[in-house]
Amino acid sequence: MLFNSLHFLLFLPIVVGLYYLLPQKYRWVLIFFASCYFYMVFVPEYILILFLIIIIDYISALTIERVNGRLKLFYLIASLTANIGLLAFFKYFNFFNENLASVFSLFGMEFQSANFNIILPIGLSFHTFQSMSYTIEVYRGKQKAERHLGYFANYVLFFPQMVAGPIERYETLGNSLKSEHKPLYQNFSDGFKLILFGLFIKMAVADNIAPYVNQIYLDPLKYSSSQVLLSVFLFSFQIYADFFGYSTIALGSAKLLGVNIMDNFKTPYLAKSVSEFWTRWHISLSTWFRDYLYIPLGGNRVKIPRWSLNILIVFMISGLWHGASWTFVVWGALHGLVLLIERYFSKLFKFEIKSKWSLLNIFLVIKTFIITSFIWIFFRAENFQKAKDMFKAIAKNHSAPAIDIDVLYALMFSGLIIVFDIFLYNSRFDSKLNTFKTLYRWAFYSLILFCLMALSGTQKFTFIYFQF
Amino acid sequence: MLNKIFIKIGSLIVIIIGLNFIYSYTLYENDLAEKCEQIIEIQNSQASTDIFYFGESSNFNVRENDSIKKYISEITGLFFPSLKLTTINKAATHAGIYKYWIKQIDVNDHKPKAVIVTLNMRSFDAAWINSKLETQLQESIVLVQSYPNLINRFLLSLQAFDNKIEQQRESAMLKDWSTTQLKFPYTFKYKTVREWDNAMGQGSFLREDGSWDSEKITLACHYIKGYAFNISENNPRIKDFDEIANWCNKNEINLYLNLMAENIEYADSLVGKELVFLMKQNRDFLVKRYSKNNCTVVDNLEKVDGLEFTDQTWTTEHYGYKGRMIIAKNLADSLRKQFSKQYKKAY
Repeated sequence: MLFNSLHFLLFLPIVVGLYYLLPQKYRWVLIFFASCYFYMVFVPEYILILFLIIIIDYISALTIERVNGRLKLFYLIASLTANIGLLAFFKYFNFFNENLASVFSLFGMEFQSANFNIILPIGLSFHTFQSMSYTIEVYRGKQKAERHLGYFANYVLFFPQMVAGPIERYETLGNSLKSEHKPLYQNFSDGFKLILFGLFIKMAVADNIAPYVNQIYLDPLKYSSSQVLLSVFLFSFQIYADFFGYSTIALGSAKLLGVNIMDNFKTPYLAKSVSEFWTRWHISLSTWFRDYLYIPLGGNRVKIPRWSLNILIVFMISGLWHGASWTFVVWGALHGLVLLIERYFSKLFKFEIKSKWSLLNIFLVIKTFIITSFIWIFFRAENFQKAKDMFKAIAKNHSAPAIDIDVLYALMFSGLIIVFDIFLYNSRFDSKLNTFKTLYRWAFYSLILFCLMALSGTQKFTFIYFQF
Repeated sequence: MLNKIFIKIGSLIVIIIGLNFIYSYTLYENDLAEKCEQIIEIQNSQASTDIFYFGESSNFNVRENDSIKKYISEITGLFFPSLKLTTINKAATHAGIYKYWIKQIDVNDHKPKAVIVTLNMRSFDAAWINSKLETQLQESIVLVQSYPNLINRFLLSLQAFDNKIEQQRESAMLKDWSTTQLKFPYTFKYKTVREWDNAMGQGSFLREDGSWDSEKITLACHYIKGYAFNISENNPRIKDFDEIANWCNKNEINLYLNLMAENIEYADSLVGKELVFLMKQNRDFLVKRYSKNNCTVVDNLEKVDGLEFTDQTWTTEHYGYKGRMIIAKNLADSLRKQFSKQYKKAY
């Protein structure tokens, strides 16, 4: 089910209403069935994959907790292999196949294997990563294995964040889902504000930018350098608004049920460096990679060459996590590379970014935005040829941009994103808004509501991160 | 807490009412023009219009080498020079869309004397009902649903209309073809469109050199898929036409349903008398059902010769000039009963 659908806007109040009407001991049943229904609206049979993940990790965790020594590690590896195996099968099978065929053809040999023609189960990378974090934490002894299969299932299935995160830890989400939540006015008020803002960001901002960006990326060589360049920057806003919008609606929906989930974004385009960008963008994924890959690889406690390699490995795997294509790997690698350059530069010149705002910091913010925008090209382009065409068009097709009403809309909403980011710097929409006087707050609601209801895009765009 | 929530919900409703007012007076018309220019045309022309003609491509499609390229509605208008006939067209439209268009006529402002609606027999078949163009058509009418304008605009953004993807529509069409039983007053060997189509697809046409004439086979299959159905009260188009007829009746506006000509000759020679039987049976059903109150069915089904159809390798209701003229004249003859004083022989 899409958050930006009438279906969801009817589904959510029903679930919230029933949730508070039911006694605590039955609420998990409601959340379980509501989440299954939410997921099954996409492709019903794929719920079985989720059930499989749930069963594997539920049993693995219980077993890991019970056994000692090498067996513990054995069961962890078995569980991780099963999770990654599922992900590899559904998401990377064709990718490996194609690459294998390319390698064979390099040696003049032919490799033929039928491609797997299915739609990728929505949000599979999110479920598997969330579930894996649980078994790892149980293995590390930081988390007790959950005895109640229903509670554990809800941790993996919880509908507000099941298809595109945030990737939560059991310690927070699992335990929160088990606690009794009373219907509090503040939760309703904050939840509503977050949903309203999230819908606005997704439907009015992202969906108004998307048509222009899609049009350019379809055939970049047909457009002037300024148009292509504009689409590069606009895509930065589109993907941010799309994913931030989703995460904010997720946050608000969970809040209505009394459940707190983590903030996935903290004004990332106000980051002064790429390394800071990754502390503000898709935070749940960054922290997942930090805790379960970067630190186990040695983190920053190793020598510089090894540390550099670690950074590159983490970013490249993070890229591959997003999609089964080398363009995503390059996208991740470029981020890693820029991050290394920044670190070397600051070490070499003993340069430290001050937290206090200055002209230099503004320059650094703009620099970081430009760099990340150009790297997004590899994320957005379907293949290297398309990415190459984008760069080629930027370099060659010089002419004045054609500004029409759609571009103006896209620019206007991108501008709004900047304004919101400055306004929300290091704070969240609901808490920031609570500091406003009632009249201003309601005037603000009215503005957002008008933009949402009257100016939202009219084409159907699913959330970009659903494909991961 | 409940009091607080109710106050907030109340405030929100008041705000939405205010925003709806602002939207209606600022952006609504632009959105309407973007999504459905025909509605703007209706609103702009209704004050001076005596007769509205609602049609699809059968009205405006012309043959490339036609000496006169006038639409059916334009030719009809020539018979009534003192009346203003306004044409509202859109390709692939059907009664499910016309009914929304018609309701845009503000009868309190100026009531037209007559409304002509194209009655295309194929618009009742599973292929048209489940056409891939349907999503776009449904999208075009969201802004004129019966909710406040701002809510309609929000529903449009939420894609809250019959917004099925192409595969869903295709599978509904295939399901209909393979499950809906064809009814004949006698025993016929094929029970469904699918069975009939499959049998035809096995090949029935040989060229002189002994090879299969695959083009003819394909065309014959199209005829089966396009016309092999029995119109019943449950057909969604019947409900749409009923709504149109009731609206016209309620507002005392004469309604003319212009039943388009089909290539009966081809249907007969390619598929056989059974298909022609179904076509005629469906025509009879429509004529009987709608020839009452202020409604007239203008029957053109068999009026146009096979060669006058523009598409000889497809099933369409596109006619050459002669075909369009025959239909227009037939329509004008029906209108003449109401507008005898204004009638002037044009051809």
